[in-house]
Amino acid sequence: MKNQLISIFKKESFTFFEGLQAWIILGVYILLSMFITFFVGGFFSINNMGLFSFFYFQPYIMAFLIPAITMRLWAEERKTGTLEFLLTQPVSVTSVVVGKFMSAWFMCLCMLLLSTPLWIYLNVCFEADNLNILCGYIACILLSGSFCALGCLISSFCSAPAISYLWSLIVLFFICADDFSNIIKLFHFPLNIEIKLSNSLNLSSQYNDLISGQVSFDNFLYFIFLMIICLVLNNISVEYKKN
Amino acid sequence: MIVVKNLCKDYGEKHAVNNVNFCISRGEIVSLLGPNGAGKTTLMRLLTGYIEPTSGEVKIFDKNIQTSRLECLAKIGYVPESGFLYNDMSVADFLHYTAQLRNLSQEDYIQNFQKVVESLELKSVINQKIETLSKGFKRRTGIAAALLHNPEILILDEPTEGLDPNQKFSLRNYIKNYGREKIVIISTHIMEEVEAMADRVILLNHGKLVKDTSPEKLKELFPEHNIETAFYKITSETD
Repeated sequence: MKNQLISIFKKESFTFFEGLQAWIILGVYILLSMFITFFVGGFFSINNMGLFSFFYFQPYIMAFLIPAITMRLWAEERKTGTLEFLLTQPVSVTSVVVGKFMSAWFMCLCMLLLSTPLWIYLNVCFEADNLNILCGYIACILLSGSFCALGCLISSFCSAPAISYLWSLIVLFFICADDFSNIIKLFHFPLNIEIKLSNSLNLSSQYNDLISGQVSFDNFLYFIFLMIICLVLNNISVEYKKN
Repeated sequence: MIVVKNLCKDYGEKHAVNNVNFCISRGEIVSLLGPNGAGKTTLMRLLTGYIEPTSGEVKIFDKNIQTSRLECLAKIGYVPESGFLYNDMSVADFLHYTAQLRNLSQEDYIQNFQKVVESLELKSVINQKIETLSKGFKRRTGIAAALLHNPEILILDEPTEGLDPNQKFSLRNYIKNYGREKIVIISTHIMEEVEAMADRVILLNHGKLVKDTSPEKLKELFPEHNIETAFYKITSETD
C-alpha cells in the first residue's frame, strides 16, 4: 500500500509540474502574497516582525488558489475515464485518496517555500520574531492541508474541473468568512454552548490563534480533524460515485 | 476460475444485469455478445469489482470480489472500452506507472515489459506521448498495461476496435495463445472475431443471459449456419 501511495503521489506531482499549471499557480501565489503583504497588509507601517501582514491574508489567497490545484484531481479522472483504469488496479481507494491529497498538499508546501526569502530578509535586515513566524508557517501548512482535503472532496463530487474549482472557491471562501453562528443558532443550543461551538468551529479564529502565537492543542486538533473527515468523506464519495 | 452467481445490477428501475449465472474455467476464451445496452460493459465492471452488484456474487478463484477486491484484482488484467489512458504520459511511463500500481518487482517489470512491448509491437512509439498515438496504438498500449503482470484473467472490452487488419490478425493470435492457459473474456460486436477466437459465447440481451454455448453450436441453431443470423434471431426473440 505504501509503495502504491508513493507512486500515485509521484505521478500526480509530476503531472502538476510537467504542465504549465503548477508554475502559473506558484507565480500567481508569490505575486499575490507579496502584493497583499506589502500594499494591503502594510508591511512597513505596522510592527511586522512576526510577518503578521503576510500570514493574516493567507486563508483568502489559499481559498483562491488551492481549488486550482485540487480541481483536476478527481474531476478530470472521471471526465477522461481514467478513474476506471485506476480503480481496477489492485490499489485501495484509500491509497488513491491519500496519494492525491498528498500531492496537492506538497504543491502548497512548494508555494509556502517560495515565501521563505521574506523570512530570511526579515532576519537579515531587522530583528525577526522567529517563533511567531514559525507558528505562522505551521498554521499555513495546516490550513493548506485542510483546504486541499476539502478541495479533493469537492473534486470527487464533480465531473468537470471547472465546476469543481467554482464549488471549492465558494466553499473555501464561505469557511474563511463565516463563523457558522447562523447555522448553530438553528439548533437552539443554550447561549454559552452556542458561543463555544461557534468559536471552535470557526476556521478563522483557529487560524488567527496560531498565527498570533497563542498555540493550543485544540488548534492542531481542529485542522487535523478537518483533514481526516474530508479524506474519509472523499473515500466514501469515490466508492459511492462509481456505482 | 470465475463463478458468477445470481448476479444483478440495477440502475433505478433498469435491470442492467439481471440474474446472470455462469462459470468460466482456465483455458477458456469467452466472448460476451449482445446488442448495445445488453449489459456487457456492466457485467465486465462487475467482474472487475469496479461497481458493486445489487445482489448476487462474483468469485474469482474462490474469492469474492467484493470482500477480497485487491486479491482478486491482482489476478485480473482489464482493458475498458475507451478513454482509460493518461494522455499526458508516454507509453513507457504509463506502463511503468501500471507496474508500480501493481507492485511488480523491478525484475518482473523489465522481463514482462520487454515481452509485451515486443508482442504488441509498441517499440516504435515507446517514448511517445499517448495523446499523439493513433487509435490502434492507444488500444495496444491499454492491452500491454493489462498484460504487464501476466494476469490469470484477461478481460477486454472491444479489443480490436481501431486496429488495422494486420494488427487485428496478430492480436487475435496473441489472445488465442494467451487463452490456452488463462481465462480470457472479450466483449465484441464483431462476429468474425467470435469465430476466430472464442471457445464459448455468452449472449446477453436486456441484462439477461440468453445463450451460453460454443460458437459452433450457436451457428447450428439456425439453418443459415452463421453467427450473425443466430445473434439476430436470438436477440429478436428475447426482445
